[in-house]
Amino acid sequence: MSLSRRKFLATGVASAAVISGTTQIPELLLQAAAAPSAGGARSENVLVVLQLSGGNDGLNTVVPYADDVYARNRFQTRISAAQAHKLNDYLGLHPSMAGMHRLFQEDLLTIIQGVGYANPNRSHFESMDIWHTAQPKAKRDARQVGWLGNYLDSVNSKHPAYAKNDVPAVHLGNEVQPLALAGLHVQVPSIGSFDDFRFDEVNNRQLAAARDKLLSAAATDVNELVAHVRAAAQTALASSRRVRNAIARQTNSADYPQTNLGKKLRGIAQLIQAGLSTRIYYVTLDGFDTHSLQTESHAGLLRELSGAVTAFIDDLTHTGQSDRVLLACFSEFGRRVKENASRGTDHGAAAPMFLASGRLRGGLVGEHPSLTDLDDGDLKFHTDFRRVYASLLEQWLGVPSAPLLGGTFKQCRNPKVELDRLLALGKSARTK
Amino acid sequence: MSNLAPTPDPQTAWQPWQSTESEPWDRRLAAHLFRRASFGASRAQLDEAVTSSPHECVDHLLNKCQDAETRAFDAEMTTMAAGLVAGEPQTLEPWWLYRMLFTPASLRERMTLFWHGHFATSAATVNNTSMMLAQNETLRQHALGHFEPLVQAVSRDPAMLTYLNSTTNARIHPNENYAREVMELFCLGVGNYTERDIQETARCFTGWEIRRKRFRFNKHQHDFGTKSLFHQTGKFDGDDAVRIILAQDAAPRFIARKLVNYFVCDHPVSDELVEPLARELRDNDFHIEPVVCRILTSRYFYSQAAVGQKIRSPVDLAIGLLRCLEGTVGTIALAAALQPLGQRVFFPPNVKGWEGGRKWINATTLIGRVNLVSKLLRNDHVRFADGSLTDYFQDSETSAKLVDTLAGLLLAVPLPDSARRELIRVAQFHKNKVARGASDVLCTLAALPEFQLG
Repeated sequence: MSLSRRKFLATGVASAAVISGTTQIPELLLQAAAAPSAGGARSENVLVVLQLSGGNDGLNTVVPYADDVYARNRFQTRISAAQAHKLNDYLGLHPSMAGMHRLFQEDLLTIIQGVGYANPNRSHFESMDIWHTAQPKAKRDARQVGWLGNYLDSVNSKHPAYAKNDVPAVHLGNEVQPLALAGLHVQVPSIGSFDDFRFDEVNNRQLAAARDKLLSAAATDVNELVAHVRAAAQTALASSRRVRNAIARQTNSADYPQTNLGKKLRGIAQLIQAGLSTRIYYVTLDGFDTHSLQTESHAGLLRELSGAVTAFIDDLTHTGQSDRVLLACFSEFGRRVKENASRGTDHGAAAPMFLASGRLRGGLVGEHPSLTDLDDGDLKFHTDFRRVYASLLEQWLGVPSAPLLGGTFKQCRNPKVELDRLLALGKSARTK
Repeated sequence: MSNLAPTPDPQTAWQPWQSTESEPWDRRLAAHLFRRASFGASRAQLDEAVTSSPHECVDHLLNKCQDAETRAFDAEMTTMAAGLVAGEPQTLEPWWLYRMLFTPASLRERMTLFWHGHFATSAATVNNTSMMLAQNETLRQHALGHFEPLVQAVSRDPAMLTYLNSTTNARIHPNENYAREVMELFCLGVGNYTERDIQETARCFTGWEIRRKRFRFNKHQHDFGTKSLFHQTGKFDGDDAVRIILAQDAAPRFIARKLVNYFVCDHPVSDELVEPLARELRDNDFHIEPVVCRILTSRYFYSQAAVGQKIRSPVDLAIGLLRCLEGTVGTIALAAALQPLGQRVFFPPNVKGWEGGRKWINATTLIGRVNLVSKLLRNDHVRFADGSLTDYFQDSETSAKLVDTLAGLLLAVPLPDSARRELIRVAQFHKNKVARGASDVLCTLAALPEFQLG
């Protein structure tokens, strides 16, 4: 990335701070303030959330290859120093992640280490719900609304996103829609495949008109479930044609791997490039629950991850969109430091998150968690995941995070940015 | 504005429902029973049902589980299964759909589907047809029986242990996966055990292995030491662990609640409402059949808090539509048409099974549901009582009667007036013969949000 572009972007700081309604300097993770500019939908920032389902083994993703304790705990599953793509003299990325390693070197990838929450829950479903709702302490039944659903409700309350506007968010995948997207008002479409996202033709136009009428007919008998179905029908009617047209218009020539994730991210890139005003996209990659014979399956998953993410960022860079798109990648938990006897790993706690965007400052944020100071055999977190959410909401989506997260969370700081700032202020030492 | 009935009184909710003058046993309630306990009822079945009582209908459904007709059908299915064993797991889905479509033992099949969602195991991971079929048979065999032998069987089940990455479990470092799921998802629910209980239970299951697709106990890998779980200490093995887990108060409550959500309504039910059923399970050696029978004949089940208070599952939608209209279809095509709807039997999304309820519905699956019906109507191989849909409704005198008949068979809630008028208009697109409108009416009826309620 060129220096001149960075400087150019940096000039946006002051105005963005005014627009986002905050007085603090919001470029803690990013090169420059990335709050939405006033220039209409096309220039608005897009957040792509990529969920690694099953509990990604963070320790074998961002590998402390130089640590003897790592080697001792990972006898069967270990990544050696020779295999790892070095990030520094202690850490390296998994050998399958050549692409993301390049993104890291180009400052297009930020790795936030040691992310988690207090009293980690080691159930997939509970922990995933916690990440989705940003409510670690709530009872299960109380977790109804997701953190993104909350955001969508807050920005769309004035003008429901149906009919004329594009849907505010899209979930791409066949799995059940992640709770993260559940709002009280806004309904997000889940798109299994673009081919299936259309109502079949029927015999004649009259019949089609009658069908569309009944699909979205106003409620007479108000059964809550009927209202829910009707909202889905309205979303389907409003979005299916628009989304399919966007896909049909785009002839995306970028080179994506022929994996499920590669296809999904290509689809998202097409929708972004077609100018949809949708701001949130959500995809998942499943299979990270590697209790046995982990080495091969984990390598395959990370290859799929790295290949697809790299192709996506390259594609967006090529089409001049990478500065308004940020991909954030998380998993519901990491895995235990010590491997099990099935050559796999069991459910753990803290793990790294990845952010990828043309607008990022890049690099490592936070220390790697200690391999000896453990919590019941698991890595301890030092960065609450809600701090990352707060950073994304404030710095990327340009909204106050406290009302959406139910509390104030200190935003993440990229030490590089911090250092730049301190140097600019003439201070010699970093303060915590 | 909400039509949610007042929350049922736990004291009376599970008492037997009685037909009264203001709320008689009629086609509406009989159709409700058959939608929930079976996969829907045809006109002929409803005609017969209204001449008896809910209790007699449920008894009939239960008796059907072991009569001669069912035994013959089961034998046919076993023969069919033998032909699948060597093949791809993708053949499992049409096989089961066929079974659901034609089985005389529909309540048992419904419970088998319940346990499949409960002990969810995906053929996509297991990738072995015979193991999946064997598990399916285990679930069917115990479907209305006692829960403890079912859990014991599942704990040794090759498909389950393969699915949960638990085909080996070594003493030195126990694999916690099965131990966790047996508590979290199969028996107790979250919050009713500690991480320590999981670790100790994992030790109980050490040496439980799958070798050459069979369960075996490997004594060299079993930890024979003393374990402590749920305040009990002893040299426990896996069977002991299951016994101890099922003795927890949370266990019958967990299962009772899940049964209520399966049969009665999607919304959460209070502890007080679940308690009488949980007590019955506890006092009755965890016998499932009497509790299911009690639910299906209860006041709560026939109340406004239950009728139309569920979203149909995709399988219910497809099989129900066909069974209500005595429809037959090639189930390979049916499985393909069901794909975009979010429920592929034998391929649940994860070990938690299908979440169900509102989660069934989103823009894509709703489009899939509407398209499924139009696909079935366009498919020439779909027959209704061996004829066309027009033949099936040839006795309809007027368009209004045709609409009312279809709505009565297929809707769980009353057809709103405005929609009724629109459907009658649609029925009249074919001017010369009333019954010809049936296909168009059904196609449009399926677009109505109310159609998704079961």
